[in-house]
Amino acid sequence: MSNDSSSAITMMAVALPTMFFVIGVFIMATKALHAAFPAPIEANEADDEE
Amino acid sequence: MEALFQQYPWLNQLLMGFMGLSFKHVVMWGIGALLIWLAVAKDYEPALLLPMGFGAILANIPFSSAVSKVPGEEGFLIVLYNAGIANELFPVLIFIAIGAMCDFAPLIRRPSVMLFAAAAQFGIFTTAIGATLVGFSFPHAASIGIIGAADGPTTIYVASRYAVELLGPLSVAAYSYMSLVPVIQPPVIRAITTEAERKIKMGFQGEEPVSQATKFLFPLMVVIIAGIVAPISVALIGALMFGNLLKESGVTENLSNCAQNELANLVTLLLGITVGGTMSADRFLTFDVALIMALGAVAFVFDTVGGVLFAKLLNTFSSSKINPMIGACGISAFPMSGRVIAKMALKEDPSNFIIQHAIGVNVAGQVASVVAGGLVLALIPALAK
Repeated sequence: MSNDSSSAITMMAVALPTMFFVIGVFIMATKALHAAFPAPIEANEADDEE
Repeated sequence: MEALFQQYPWLNQLLMGFMGLSFKHVVMWGIGALLIWLAVAKDYEPALLLPMGFGAILANIPFSSAVSKVPGEEGFLIVLYNAGIANELFPVLIFIAIGAMCDFAPLIRRPSVMLFAAAAQFGIFTTAIGATLVGFSFPHAASIGIIGAADGPTTIYVASRYAVELLGPLSVAAYSYMSLVPVIQPPVIRAITTEAERKIKMGFQGEEPVSQATKFLFPLMVVIIAGIVAPISVALIGALMFGNLLKESGVTENLSNCAQNELANLVTLLLGITVGGTMSADRFLTFDVALIMALGAVAFVFDTVGGVLFAKLLNTFSSSKINPMIGACGISAFPMSGRVIAKMALKEDPSNFIIQHAIGVNVAGQVASVVAGGLVLALIPALAK
């Protein structure tokens, strides 16, 4: 196997888990953000009426 | 003939276009015309393919002043290339426009959809490996793999750094396959899912509306997290999220509208014709370009497979089933992929409306593709040593 192929395989081995880790952090942070700033209840009711 | 030119020097000037014409130029006119035809007759990414096709024709007229590289007499396509692509400005500006167009509310409501988007970047890496196996160098292979991000500006951004000589074909492949999502994805999805899986209905339990404060803070949060992990991605993700911040702040409506309309249109126009201007016959009519076009299709197929199989994997562990087709929307071709999948679900079962879920995953694909692009940007120089 060439050096180029082993570099590409290393890139996949490093980047894919890192991406899932970053996305995991995004998910947790987004959930925390969503929970910290809930939509006002009035807005919900207005949406329902619409 | 030489003697004639010596006797009448003006003849040389008059006939240089004819004398310099070759079969390759004519083939490139045909390719330019094909791109224009796809834009006009088939409505495939017309805003990009039409200027790109015309740029390709301009670049393949012998001694074309549009692509002249004579110092002091540079053609306008060369000036635009140096001003907007060599320094990565145009892709970044396009990202501001895309960010201003994005509504991240479906993603914030159900952030777990980002996992599908991450899985749907699988094609980037498999294609990069495949490209090295057919003889491309690692930086070029990684740039080819980025076609799998299904994100034109990211492809151009990476290519302009690490595969500048392949910029034209890479851009054409990225934008062509993005417009061919309705052709590429459905057969792949049908091949790896059962009819029962495609008919799975998804509810909206526990999904609360999103507050304006959350929408406003989301882009800031994404920039900080992505920037810390891959500082090299800050230009891309920062531009995307800046555009979104303009939209969500609620106080810069004019700027947001400008980004969504004037900026998007102007930069798309300049980007398209400039990329077309890089498609000179000597660069484009090569076996490598044919390979790149084939590898681009492979990237889209593997992206689709990655997203769908990941959704199927989650279904084995989860009690509330997910329609695995939405995994395919994790590619960044927004909103086409989301619409195609929603249409497929309706075709399978006319009462199955999964458009909101599909669009949520598709928006997440925008973020994931930029994160993937940032990681590739960071890893190429590290691994190419």
